[in-house]
Amino acid sequence: MAVQIVMDHTGDRRDYFNTDDAQALSNAERRFKMLTDGGFTAAVRDAAGVTVTRSFDPKAEETLFFPRLVGG
Amino acid sequence: MLAQVLSAAGRSIRAVWHPLAYSARKVNALRERYRAWVGMDVREARGINLLREWLSPEQRSQFDAERYFDVIGCATRKRYRIRYGTATNIHEIDEAGCPLTGWCFVPDGYLVAGDVMLAQKIALETDELAALAVANRLPADLLRTQAMQFRWRAY
Repeated sequence: MAVQIVMDHTGDRRDYFNTDDAQALSNAERRFKMLTDGGFTAAVRDAAGVTVTRSFDPKAEETLFFPRLVGG
Repeated sequence: MLAQVLSAAGRSIRAVWHPLAYSARKVNALRERYRAWVGMDVREARGINLLREWLSPEQRSQFDAERYFDVIGCATRKRYRIRYGTATNIHEIDEAGCPLTGWCFVPDGYLVAGDVMLAQKIALETDELAALAVANRLPADLLRTQAMQFRWRAY
């Protein structure tokens, strides 16, 4: 089971999906594109650490999305 | 006679009813305030949980003990200290942990502290220069004041 985590005002929202399910993968890819097109940064965490990615990785187990950074 | 009795009864009921209604309004207001407070607490806790999941073991231990954690910038190898908060909470520090410069960049929109700190960590560890490019640098006097406040809070 993979998960896409989106930071929001409630803390975060999580969408779990089965990577063996083509329909679920397609939905996840659409979510990825919608969020990154909207300015969110996608970060993938695996055993090697955290990397920022700009393309959907169907094998990613955990992807975190956070809004674009601005000067505070 | 009946009118006098009814009038007296009405006065008695009003005398009891008004304080009751006032108390009920106060209780409702307190209940709303409590709900808002509890809701905020849950959001904050979710942010902290997410942050702790994504911190390295060393950073997690440091955060649990000190309410801050250190990260190394991926490009410059400089050390930054991210303190608990949602703004002006990043200090570039020297080897001894003394603040050199303050930086402020945050994810756009309203997010809880844990989320803000996690976005700051990922940005510095994966795309440090882009993060600093949008960041505002804190004035030196504000940095000194902040350092004093953080020291004061620690005790």
